[in-house]
Amino acid sequence: MIEVHQLCKNYGDRQAIKDLSFKIEKGDVVGFLGPNGAGKSTTMKIITGFMAPSSGEAKVCGFDVFENPLEVKKRIGYLPETPPLYTDMKVIDYLRYVAKLKHVDAKKINSLVERALNKTQLLTVKDRLIQNLSKGFKQRVGIAQALVSDPEVLVLDEPTVGLDPKQVAEIRDLIKELQGEHTIILSTHILPEVQATCNKVIIIHQGKIVAQDKIEHLEKMNQGSLFVHVKTRAARGLKEILQKVDGVVAIEKISDLHFKIQLLEQDELIEKIAGEVIRSGAGLMELVPSRANLEDVFLKLTYGKKT
Amino acid sequence: MKSTFVIYKKELAGFFVSPLFYFIAFLMTTLLSVMFSLSLDKFSYLAANPMMQMGTSTQQQNIHYAVFLPHLSLVNLLLIFLVPAFSMRLLAEEKKMRTFDLLLTCPVRSSDIVLGKFLALLTTLSGLILLALIYPLVTRRIVEFPWAPTLIAAFGIFLVAAVYAAMNLFASSLTDNSLIAFVVSVAFNLAIWFLGALSDSFDGGVSKKIFEHISMNTHLASLIEGTLRTNGMIFFASLIFIFCFLAERVVESARWRD
Repeated sequence: MIEVHQLCKNYGDRQAIKDLSFKIEKGDVVGFLGPNGAGKSTTMKIITGFMAPSSGEAKVCGFDVFENPLEVKKRIGYLPETPPLYTDMKVIDYLRYVAKLKHVDAKKINSLVERALNKTQLLTVKDRLIQNLSKGFKQRVGIAQALVSDPEVLVLDEPTVGLDPKQVAEIRDLIKELQGEHTIILSTHILPEVQATCNKVIIIHQGKIVAQDKIEHLEKMNQGSLFVHVKTRAARGLKEILQKVDGVVAIEKISDLHFKIQLLEQDELIEKIAGEVIRSGAGLMELVPSRANLEDVFLKLTYGKKT
Repeated sequence: MKSTFVIYKKELAGFFVSPLFYFIAFLMTTLLSVMFSLSLDKFSYLAANPMMQMGTSTQQQNIHYAVFLPHLSLVNLLLIFLVPAFSMRLLAEEKKMRTFDLLLTCPVRSSDIVLGKFLALLTTLSGLILLALIYPLVTRRIVEFPWAPTLIAAFGIFLVAAVYAAMNLFASSLTDNSLIAFVVSVAFNLAIWFLGALSDSFDGGVSKKIFEHISMNTHLASLIEGTLRTNGMIFFASLIFIFCFLAERVVESARWRD
């Protein structure tokens, strides 16, 4: 569906992206992850044909973005960082205008506009001027605008920015709903969003891909590290006791009553730890196991930090 | 071509839905009404008094030269400032509101964008010029005069307006600030008249000929006298084409410029 091969983009002397190559299959929902300024938006702009790459090539549905931009653009719905809204138009007129710009068949315009309004829950505000809408609604009009031509590929640049938690959840549901109908690329620096919606992740750091895989695979990168947070009522030399337990890799003392224990990847160890703590009479208050998750992988890959 | 029409319709609706057009039309007609009735009054006074006609040129005794031409040149003067008022938003605002991103990621050519906007602007300006033509039309109820010279002169003003429109659209493409677009546009519109005046600084020869030819005055003057000349038409058409082409290049450059 989307093929990117050794893509580079320079802004003057600064290299925004270097040698990016990836492939996205039809029906995938791909999360673009990376810290601010990693090159996520630049990559998306190139895929949508908004910008030309300095070198390398990008293909969407078999059409080269630079050689055949009109064919590519017909098949893409794009939500830029700032939603491109004509604030002096009504929501419904705006969506009709976008549909016409995207060469949607005149007969289909009404039904597709209706569908986009429905999916983004904008029916109640369809006759209002865009300038009078709140930020969350504007963002949703932006998403509706990307959807309105029923494109094969949806490119969403930070789709949940500026929305309240309920709206964020709605947008995530929407993206899940669209899965299968469209191939979706979304960029974000919010990790739970990726975990909730995507089946594949591409992590970019300083213009380079540092990891690309299915989420489950990425999470396994940090294997062998099961962490347990233990909080107790009293100290009672817990550290020494726990250190003797088989399978404990390391113990980090966070406060006198709070320890972070790294274990081998064996679930029965959690039980063992719990038993030891209770037996010591320290008074178990809290025991929270946490597995290495995407966040750890992300931080490790982008900032070189270890949790 | 279809996209050109979509953009044309949207921009045209934008001009006529907003109060801007009506406000500008109001200002223009107020000024024109005062000036037109003054010059018509003066002309009728002159025509009624044979004594006054002595010592005046025959041109001053012709309603076309004495009333309609001052009227149309006032329209021209107003257009120097009014065209930028309409055009300043056209591309600058798109860049500022980031709706430019939408246009550039739609299956639309840069030439569709520029042409759609240019034609919408031109249609709006024709509206203003048609408004100005009401004055001679009403005068027709009082006096008989041949239509053709007035219409050709009005066509000349229309061509000049089209040149302004193309230049100002280009100015709007250069910046994302409407105010800067306005100032640059006015500067362009004034400069094009001064360019022709440079011909006075040559005593003859090729340079004088060149400046005379690129002077808007030369070409408009023949239209005002009621003659359509091919060299004039080609001159206006090439100016319009050049500036539309430049605007199209600037729009296109957004796709590859760093």
